[in-house]
Amino acid sequence: MQTTRYEQVQEQIYSEKLPNGLSVYLLPKLGFSKTYAVFTTRYGSIDSHFRAGTEELHVPDGIAHFLEHKMFEKKDRDVFQDFSRNGASSNAFTSFNRTAYLFSSTTNVAENLQILLDFVQDPYFSDQSVEKEKGIIGQEIQMYDDNPDWKVYMNLLKAMYQKHPLRIEIAGTIQSISRITKETLYQCYETFYHPSNMLLFVVGAIDPDPIMQLIRDNQGRKQFPPTPRIERFFPDEPQEVGQKRVEHHLSVGLPKCLIGYKEIRLGLTGDELLKLELTTKLVLEILLGDSSRLYQQLYDSGLITETFDFDYSAETDYAYSLFGGDTPDPDRLVETITKEINILQQKGIPADDFERSKRKKMGQYLRALNSVEYIANQFTSYKFNGTDLFQVLPVLEAITLDEANQRLREHCQPQQLAVSVVRSASSEE
Amino acid sequence: MSIPVTDIAFESSQVNGIGLHVLTTDKFKTTTMVVFIEQALSSENVTKTALLAHVLKRATARLPDSKQLREHLDFLYGAIFDVDVAKKGERQILQLYLEVPNEQYLSNETTLLEQAVQFLGDVLTRPYLEDGVFAEKYIQAEKESLRKRIESIIDDKMKYANQRITEEMFKGEPFSLLVHGQRADLPTITADRLYAYYRELLSHNPIHLFVVGDVDRGQIEQYLARHLQIERGEPAQLGPLAVQKTVSEVREVVDRLDVTQGKLNIGCRTQITYRDDDYPALVMTNGVLGGFPHSKLFINVREKASLAYYAVSRLESHKGVLMMMSGIDVANYEKAVSIMKEQLQMVRDGKISDMEMNQTRATVTNQYRELMDSARLMIDFTYNGLLSGRRRGLTELLEEIGQIGIEEIRRVADKVQIDTIYLLRDRKGGA
Repeated sequence: MQTTRYEQVQEQIYSEKLPNGLSVYLLPKLGFSKTYAVFTTRYGSIDSHFRAGTEELHVPDGIAHFLEHKMFEKKDRDVFQDFSRNGASSNAFTSFNRTAYLFSSTTNVAENLQILLDFVQDPYFSDQSVEKEKGIIGQEIQMYDDNPDWKVYMNLLKAMYQKHPLRIEIAGTIQSISRITKETLYQCYETFYHPSNMLLFVVGAIDPDPIMQLIRDNQGRKQFPPTPRIERFFPDEPQEVGQKRVEHHLSVGLPKCLIGYKEIRLGLTGDELLKLELTTKLVLEILLGDSSRLYQQLYDSGLITETFDFDYSAETDYAYSLFGGDTPDPDRLVETITKEINILQQKGIPADDFERSKRKKMGQYLRALNSVEYIANQFTSYKFNGTDLFQVLPVLEAITLDEANQRLREHCQPQQLAVSVVRSASSEE
Repeated sequence: MSIPVTDIAFESSQVNGIGLHVLTTDKFKTTTMVVFIEQALSSENVTKTALLAHVLKRATARLPDSKQLREHLDFLYGAIFDVDVAKKGERQILQLYLEVPNEQYLSNETTLLEQAVQFLGDVLTRPYLEDGVFAEKYIQAEKESLRKRIESIIDDKMKYANQRITEEMFKGEPFSLLVHGQRADLPTITADRLYAYYRELLSHNPIHLFVVGDVDRGQIEQYLARHLQIERGEPAQLGPLAVQKTVSEVREVVDRLDVTQGKLNIGCRTQITYRDDDYPALVMTNGVLGGFPHSKLFINVREKASLAYYAVSRLESHKGVLMMMSGIDVANYEKAVSIMKEQLQMVRDGKISDMEMNQTRATVTNQYRELMDSARLMIDFTYNGLLSGRRRGLTELLEEIGQIGIEEIRRVADKVQIDTIYLLRDRKGGA
């Protein structure tokens, strides 16, 4: 077992790669009552075209998410029940590029951990239970269809990406999930749930030695086929956005407008990717944060409300920034923001704005480390990209004003901009 | 549960007429502070309180414009600062929230905590004024943003359905009010009226400050004495925290909007609130019925009938409301209602397995124990006790939960009466 000490944030990580390929990370948190464990596979909604063995497969949209639901159901029982008997709460989620299974509990951690490892590594699908799940997920899809915040977000991605499966709804559509069968579920499972494609992170009230031993023993008892070679296929995505502007109608109080830039600089991993992410987030903070000139101007003129927010998502193969919220006038919002970006690109970022925003980002990071959920999910996501959550402070501190200016000019280019609007149909206004 | 629980142990005192509650722990990398100002929920004051929260947030005498105020927070290492309102029973609570990093993680920082207390004092007691009252420009801007907040309740259909059933079910009771206030009140609120209201609230209403972090209580008291001075007068008498009413007949309400999924809410009165002896049994009852993925609603509405993605029940502890909620295809309305009613009846009849009891006890206990890892949740737990007039320790509550049997759940579930069945549905189809 390896240990890595992070002096500045006073945390220590214990890690090991098991013989079957599973990566395990443990983070004891002194004084905490709860333990949070998350078992994640690098498999998400975008992995719909791949080679499994010799066969090349195109699987129905939404299957990774469907599989996530079905993992909880076994021949004789529902896994939720196993956790509740032990007082644990369990859950799972599917994103574009990963599926995570988790529990949190204040007692019986060892047993809960066994349950977690065992249920994810023991699939059971039947024709009947697959059919039943279609009703439940159908309702989940409809819930998202009625959710304007989700709609405006997905529509922005669809506008930005012309071919990449980022366009696809994570849960699929009622039509696409109707084509899912237990055979395809097994194929996807066998391809993506091999331990070598997965990571286990446990954080909280734990003693690392016995916990690591428990995990070793548990994995040692199971047989896995040799490490498979996973080949994923993605279409060639043009650099340009597909559509400059999309609009959709739903019942909302005010129109919702989400704006974003599709990233040009791709293919990075490790510290380079972390630096790209942190620099872009810092630039967005300087530009759009609530102490920026632009934010105050937008708020005072009533163009934005407290729902205004911004973020940057960085993966090796795709990345994008997005910002926006409720606004009475989407077009004027876009115009005002892009104008300010243009000015700042020419004038350069003021040094004291840069320093202040950096300080804010450092505080935000320390605050996030109070949450075991944040640590576990973020650590995993960074690890999959070859980066390290606990390197955030040093990388952030090293960013220079020049680099921020360069990033602002590089990332925020007019031809990379897309806009998504959701508003009520005019008959309702 | 044999494992001992350390209690959530705030140390309480009075400083400058406000209640101070400090919990010292090195568990977190930040220090969290929350101020609660209690007000009776009323049609007369609800909008004023909501507006006041947002006007206070804009500027202080020392930081007279919002940009300066926000820059100051960045300077305090991105301190998280918010002022908002919450509804707890027939109470509207104005809350100030401030969280700053602990100095020990930052090089060359020694005064962050005092600066944070000073900032809190600024917001609360030294607001930005023009001509002795709140500035017109901030009042106008915040009226506008409050109006938008009230209107945007329709965006989240789950919240919207919840507010609509609350309005219908508690017609004539303060609890029916939306915590953000009433649109029609906005034009009537002027700068001097809002300022007079602020003075009155600050001098007469109960105020409590909670602090959680690696802090020294004596030092916090000193900082408070220095930065947070309020002239406090005679305490205001607020009305009862819960108005009770028995149900004479079940009402059905249907709203129509452009939605795909129907939202079904069944609102029940329990006649039991946080301060009652029966409260722990009510928590268990709700857990068996719909609190968890092993509960009757989830199993029967979702897993067995495959009608919904979510089917849950939630408690409002100060008013004593139990709300069942689900998102369904409107064609399944009758079926879903009948399954949900049936499940409540099963609980009333004591048709609960040992397994259901054990799972509920274990998960409820776990939920409460998890509070200990969040400063904010520990504060809310303790404040709920204070507000209701019954301060239960966490250990005490868990001991009680440990002893609830099927017989008590049956007795408590008998008091749970369905009051209103609400459906938010699409515009298509029959009446």
